[in-house]
Amino acid sequence: MLPVSRRNSYLVRCAIIMSDEAASSDKADGSVRLSIDGREIVTKEGQMLLQAALDNGIEIPHYCYHPKLSIDGSCRMCQVKVEGERKLAISCNAPVREGMVVDTQCAEVEEARRGVMELLLVNHPLDCPICDQAGECFLQDYSAGYGSAHARTSEARRKGVKRHPIGERVIFDQERCILCRRCVRFTQEVTKTDELRVFGIGDHSHIGTMPDAPLDNDYSVNVADICPVGALLSSDFHHKRRVWFLEDSESICPSCSQGCNVNLGTFRNEIQRIVPRRNDEVNETWMCDRGRLRYAFTSDETRIREARVQEAGEAPRPIPLSEALDKAATLLASARIEPNSVALLASAHLTNEESFRLATLAADNLAESNVLLPIETGPADGFLIQEERAPNGRGAREMGLIPRGMDLQALWAAIADGTVKTLYVIGSDLLKIIETDQLSDELAKLDALIVQDSNESPLTAIATVVLPGLTFAEKDGSFTNYNGRVQRIRRALEPTAGLLSDGEIFAGLEARLSGNPERPFSAAATLEEIADSVAGYAGMSFASLGSMGVPVAGGQEPAPSPSGGARVPQAGET
Amino acid sequence: MATRVVKVDREKYRRAAGPFGAKAFLAGFRVTAGHFFRNLRGWLIGKPSVATVMFPEEDLVKPPAFRGMPVLVEMENGKERCVACGLCEWACPVDCIHIEPGETEDEVERYPQVFDIDMSRCMYCGLCEEACPEEAIVMSERVEISAFTRAGTLWRKKDLLMPVADLTRRLEHIRRDYDRR
Repeated sequence: MLPVSRRNSYLVRCAIIMSDEAASSDKADGSVRLSIDGREIVTKEGQMLLQAALDNGIEIPHYCYHPKLSIDGSCRMCQVKVEGERKLAISCNAPVREGMVVDTQCAEVEEARRGVMELLLVNHPLDCPICDQAGECFLQDYSAGYGSAHARTSEARRKGVKRHPIGERVIFDQERCILCRRCVRFTQEVTKTDELRVFGIGDHSHIGTMPDAPLDNDYSVNVADICPVGALLSSDFHHKRRVWFLEDSESICPSCSQGCNVNLGTFRNEIQRIVPRRNDEVNETWMCDRGRLRYAFTSDETRIREARVQEAGEAPRPIPLSEALDKAATLLASARIEPNSVALLASAHLTNEESFRLATLAADNLAESNVLLPIETGPADGFLIQEERAPNGRGAREMGLIPRGMDLQALWAAIADGTVKTLYVIGSDLLKIIETDQLSDELAKLDALIVQDSNESPLTAIATVVLPGLTFAEKDGSFTNYNGRVQRIRRALEPTAGLLSDGEIFAGLEARLSGNPERPFSAAATLEEIADSVAGYAGMSFASLGSMGVPVAGGQEPAPSPSGGARVPQAGET
Repeated sequence: MATRVVKVDREKYRRAAGPFGAKAFLAGFRVTAGHFFRNLRGWLIGKPSVATVMFPEEDLVKPPAFRGMPVLVEMENGKERCVACGLCEWACPVDCIHIEPGETEDEVERYPQVFDIDMSRCMYCGLCEEACPEEAIVMSERVEISAFTRAGTLWRKKDLLMPVADLTRRLEHIRRDYDRR
């Protein structure tokens, strides 16, 4: 041992501990065995102690650490006692070592946590009754364990700007901020747009933006997710509902083919908010603002809640769904005598199970009719926004909804000249590709327009038969994202009584067109059929898909890390 | 011990009651008449000593701990003190409170757009008052909640407001009571 003074011995010991020799595992597979609160934990070399603890269900309180952002080490809340070290270590930045013995519950650790809490609470405003974060606030939760009901200071708290629209979709409250800097690191490392910075110094530090440079990127509301307190909040959800009233359902965002994993927060059968769910293979912990905020359509006044029929020369009138199915089947049956005169426009918003059933229907009962799959597209941004602006284009194609016959341009011309006389359209993506404001004129020559959709559109307004469909939030099923990951959606909202899912509608049409007794549609059973017959989907079931999904066998590139390297383009750039 | 035999002179009592019990009757009548005239005198000269409360012209005096129906405190400026935090809604054991929060431009940024109490469900337990962090909902002395229809038992925000000046006794009581350790 080198001769060192007592004052330096701690530093020397740290140097030895931090050196490669001591830190590396002595196992070939790089695994490290350590003990936390008497529990043996096995983790990988290079892992930080905090992440290892969280992965094993051990709660260590923390603010500034986030698994998808760089390590900050500023909040000091994650301090734990490591045997053999004189001072407490911050577990977020403590690499695991073989044989490490960690105590997260001893008196010294508790005192440290109480100290951090007291200092944070000195200036934190008493906003809980009016703050949206109540119920999911780190400060509130840790106060229960480590806070104090009485302040030891009597000076007035510091003042700051309150409910400041720091971006179009985000509200900032300076007084509530605890300066964990998660938001700053997000705009630096994930979106690479650098809007948020820390201004001032020491006790005068505060988060802000440069003048004329508000928080303005396609992922801005993610900062409200990661803010541990109510300093950054989603404007859309501001003062909307207390989070303890929300029922959470796991689902998949339907706004593009990325398939970001989400949680739908519902109350009284309406979606109140959508927040991202962690899936390291798809969206890490992020989602784009566009998808996050697009949910009102599931329960607003544009929802179609009953079937309709419009005979020639008459006004449209509501009819029972079974009658509408009869009518639609009759129209299709008479039309298919002239096969090329029928066109089926399927939708990439249908689940795999529904697409499979529709493909069967098309093959058995609408053979030789044209099949199209119009999908709205837009520019991919190199991060999470994909080109196809629908959740299941790949799934629809792999289930057999492969375009045949005319393409959309040819179809439009064929309608105009009367070759195609019967259209069965699901959804309204077609209108995002062919833009027209003379829809009823251009479709005037059709004998029959059957439209199946969840929301009113210019198509449903002129349809002969309107079949009410369900939104993604009202169905059980699966979507296959652009990269071949098959992921579950779950029913989070109860549909209007009497409505059928799109799959059940296909079953009803199939029975009427074939004359056979109806083969009832069940999403779970259909997925098992798919597992037996579609290449790449072998062995899949709702249970196997679970919360994280399952990749299609052999059909995908290795999952790219969404935040690895790609820079979110600024407005005006391509 | 041997049983002691007492000779009771029943004749004495029968004679004391008077002919046809007239004397006994008059004795009792004297008691009630005495009360009647005492009360009458008291009522006439304005100093009644009876416990009878002439309801509904008079009302019972309730102790400060009495829990009547919950009301919303209306501040001097006419606005409710409530900030729609939702704690009373959550605390209510019978789910009789429904709140829709809204945003204001004032210094206090949150207020209840909708504050409904289904008074037929309310059980007057006072948990809402106890949960409230703002002294915005208190158990008043009012108990008249009858309605002619079931819809009439739903009280809206405007029905529930009561000026803070009328609630001082209750507010003082809950400050003493809830802060006890």
